[in-house]
Amino acid sequence: MNNNDGLGKSDGEPHTHDPSEKGAARRVQALEEVAIAKGLVDPQALDEIIEYYERETGPRNGASVVAKAWVEPDYKTWLLGNGTEAINHLGFSGFQGEHIKVVENTHEVHNVVVCTLCSCYPWPVLGLAPSWYKSSAYRSRVVREPRSVLSEFGLEVPDEVRVEVWDSTAEVRYLVLPQRPPGTNDLTEAELAGLVTRNGMIGTALV
Amino acid sequence: MDGIHDMGGMHGFGRIPIEDDYVFDSDWQRRSFALAEALAPITPFGTDEHRQAIERIPPSDYLKLDYFEKWAVATESLLKQAGHISQDELDVGAKLFHADVGDRSPVTGPELVQAMKQGVPLKFPDDSQPQRFSEGDVVLVSSESPYLHTRLPRYVRGKTGLVASAEGVFAFPDAAVGGVGAPRQHCYTVAFSSETLWGREAEPNEVIHLDLWESYLEPA
Repeated sequence: MNNNDGLGKSDGEPHTHDPSEKGAARRVQALEEVAIAKGLVDPQALDEIIEYYERETGPRNGASVVAKAWVEPDYKTWLLGNGTEAINHLGFSGFQGEHIKVVENTHEVHNVVVCTLCSCYPWPVLGLAPSWYKSSAYRSRVVREPRSVLSEFGLEVPDEVRVEVWDSTAEVRYLVLPQRPPGTNDLTEAELAGLVTRNGMIGTALV
Repeated sequence: MDGIHDMGGMHGFGRIPIEDDYVFDSDWQRRSFALAEALAPITPFGTDEHRQAIERIPPSDYLKLDYFEKWAVATESLLKQAGHISQDELDVGAKLFHADVGDRSPVTGPELVQAMKQGVPLKFPDDSQPQRFSEGDVVLVSSESPYLHTRLPRYVRGKTGLVASAEGVFAFPDAAVGGVGAPRQHCYTVAFSSETLWGREAEPNEVIHLDLWESYLEPA
């Protein structure tokens, strides 16, 4: 199980830096210095924005939504019928989460989410998108050969299970409601939330 | 715009870089993200303008630049377009002239975070615009390929799909940024079978959904 919270680097292979990255760092530093010198931006605001996204948004929020839906049938009905309202009810709202649709995995259907045009992603419940979600490979391929893409993630979806892909081309953002794993009847809602992974809510993994 | 950003269905990009599992890998990426968010209200620009500025990056650069460097390029170009900064200033990293932002002032951290938590209202009442399609309608997607900003990907143009749901009335980005089309329209989730999109190459038993504004669609 991947317990990475989606922020910072994951364990494993070190990321190879692009040689042009030094140029990017300089470019952003120049933009920041000019914007501050010209009174266009409050430097402290930059820190506060970063802190908000790193501390208060992220997949833990989505996981608590999923766990509640697993234990409370009424909440699940509400969530699938009006995702935005049901998610707001748990205190999660904001940019890139104004309209959220929740799609349910079942024995017949497996859902997976993408944004082929840019990087649309439900920030309040999943945080900011991981790098691979924004990659050319994921964006180009998952609408064309989702089974092959899922297989690269280690997920083999049988042909009789329909794969439903959701390309976030307008203002609706998508969250996958994974199937509750078998043998979890004794777990509390909080323990269940601990099982839910970010990739499970994008649809590139099962829970 | 038929740019490199419209990647759905393209061949040749290889394996998914699953190991790139991070949100930020360097501090400059954090700064680039926060700069775009903090400079949006004062410039001013919205999400659609920022997206369009990214789409205008030449394809060879688009593929080469890091995601957050593209954000910085877009933020720079919107600030330059508004006349608030110059390329000379960015080259030397210093202020060379006073920026006239009218009665706007920098937004404070708490104000920005409050706005981010609240979100931006994007939806208008369902009955505020006539609704042309309903769930179950078969629709043909427009073949128009505008030079300006659009949210209609190439891979569904000219294809036939099924309206899966009506999502309500939203501002139309093509109009907001490019000035083309009705500014508010119904938007629909449209389902396409993989065979419709990819023919004999398609994998079995797959449905691809896109959210499409009404003027992208005609009755089939």
